[in-house]
Amino acid sequence: MSVHVSILTRLALRNLRRQTRRSLLSGLAMVVGLALLAFSRALAAGAHEDWIEAGVRLSGGHVTVEAPHFHARKTLSYRISGDELRAVNDALSTAGLAADVRSSAVRLEIQGLASTAVSAAPVTVLGVQPGSERDFSHLAERLINGRYLAENDRLHAYIGEKLAERLGLGIDSRLILTAQDAEGEISGQLTRVAGIFRTGIPEVDERRVEIPIGMAREWLGADGSATSVALLLGSSDRVQDVVARLDHELSSRDADLEVLTWREASPGLDAAIRMDDFGDWVFHSITLVVVALAVVNTILMSVLYRVREFGVVRALGLTRTETGVQVLIEGLLLSVASGLLGIALGLALTWIFFRDGLDYSFLLEEGFRAAGTIMEPIVRPRFHVSQLIGSLAFVFGIGILASAYPAFRATRIEVADAMKFEA
Amino acid sequence: MQEGEQSRTPVPAVRTEDLWKIFEHDGQVVEAVRGVSLTIEAGEFVVLAGPSGSGKTTLLNLLGGLTRATRGRVWVDGNDITRLPERQLAKLRLERLGFVFQAYNLLPVLTALENAEFSLLLRGVGEKERQERVEALFARIGIAGLEDRRPGKLSGGQQQRVAVARAVVGQPALVLADEPTANLDSATSGSLIDLMAELNRDLGSTFVFATHDTQLMERARRLIRLVDGAIVDDQRVELDT
Repeated sequence: MSVHVSILTRLALRNLRRQTRRSLLSGLAMVVGLALLAFSRALAAGAHEDWIEAGVRLSGGHVTVEAPHFHARKTLSYRISGDELRAVNDALSTAGLAADVRSSAVRLEIQGLASTAVSAAPVTVLGVQPGSERDFSHLAERLINGRYLAENDRLHAYIGEKLAERLGLGIDSRLILTAQDAEGEISGQLTRVAGIFRTGIPEVDERRVEIPIGMAREWLGADGSATSVALLLGSSDRVQDVVARLDHELSSRDADLEVLTWREASPGLDAAIRMDDFGDWVFHSITLVVVALAVVNTILMSVLYRVREFGVVRALGLTRTETGVQVLIEGLLLSVASGLLGIALGLALTWIFFRDGLDYSFLLEEGFRAAGTIMEPIVRPRFHVSQLIGSLAFVFGIGILASAYPAFRATRIEVADAMKFEA
Repeated sequence: MQEGEQSRTPVPAVRTEDLWKIFEHDGQVVEAVRGVSLTIEAGEFVVLAGPSGSGKTTLLNLLGGLTRATRGRVWVDGNDITRLPERQLAKLRLERLGFVFQAYNLLPVLTALENAEFSLLLRGVGEKERQERVEALFARIGIAGLEDRRPGKLSGGQQQRVAVARAVVGQPALVLADEPTANLDSATSGSLIDLMAELNRDLGSTFVFATHDTQLMERARRLIRLVDGAIVDDQRVELDT
């Protein structure tokens, strides 16, 4: 059979060259299809990474450390104690984790009510360390009036534009925050508005209030504690590994804490990205089907045109299976050669746009908003080895799938009937 | 599947026993071959003659295992090909049979030499030996120098000579030729018939033709006439040599 495979490959190559124009046109469809596929996959990966980055910065980071049950209950009964916070800091300073964690933010979060003499609104109060939070969430960059919180602030608040409008607040306006404290009692705190931000995301602009964590601890009777430690990683690809190692480090320090991935902590963002992934998958599948049909058409036409020749090679000693293998080889050669060229072209496009990114600002001035995040209008494509492996698998898959039916047709040819065939 | 008497008497090149081929076409049942029992000894030069639709080509296809019999049995070189599975039948065609078709049926993507050596290539014969055998054969049949030409660059007569070379190069036990001269002019037909008669004599290969060609019938040493799928006459001819 090995001798026959080399003969079949030679025949397949010659037959592809025989119908040069048809082979080139099908190959071109494959090249363009695979190039677009490789580039759009890299672009989608880049967009998703940006989306995840923007989403986790505004929420709990790529990885969130919380007390058990806090995620579901959101009350101060389930918080991280001062000792546990030290254990988290110790764990993060270990060599393996320090390399992956780009930034961290300690937060004290509570659901409450913001009120003025005019009106009241439900809010999420976030006690933050202004210095680290400024690097973490980039919310400070969304300032439209006043200033962001400073380390030495005590009674200041940073609020969203929609909340300010609803409550009639300006800079230095007084705002009363009311929430359930650590003892379960309702407690109020007077603050003054230091700054107002606009993200364009209604749920953030209407509900988020940031205050210094020192003031939050004092007000809520939660001295030295926090509700979460949010971690920003170098890449979302590292999440599972960091979660596993942090879990291990915390367990070894007897800290009974939960370590959540961003998918667990931000299910809305996770769902949005999964939906987008599904959309990409549908789009890519359609592209692949179109490309596969071009290959099917070429190979099937070639088989139907050569019925008599298949009859001849069968009469000369090839088996049905071998004639099918010859057709499969033709399809694979066409698919793999043009597919590899297409992938190379797609990677070249990815490389061209890798440094400066693809600028979508001509479509939308302020970027895209989705699933509680805002994305920058410049998307940098990202390349993964897994994409290359996936694309190569696609190429071989197309080659085999697109050739399978023509190959089957070739095996069904009856020699005696083939001899009566007129091309 | 060797016949029991093989050790004592020579095995016929081909033998059939109550061979039938029945087609169903547009609801009509057609008995293309009806109860043919026939023995062709090794080295014979046989012509199957008869009007169109008499079943010559179908019988030839049955003898070559190109189509399966509805009923009856066929032995080729002692092998019952009606019982052989696909893979073994292909192997038998490769090693024991040669075919020449009316429309030449050379593979257009191969050169004349590559077409002629195709069965040797499938049998794993080395390149040097293949080339020597094909070149010797080409010289003998008058097409030396055409080895590198594709079929499209050859005349009908040249193509059919390449097809004959392809059929005999592996020294098969049986060469089956279906109307090999039908597309050739009279002079070219004559020389091709001379060539095949010579190869039959010198190589000892058995030739069975299905033909209308009177030139070929005149050269047959055995003439079998078919009408409506059945043998109506089977004559051995003594030729003046």
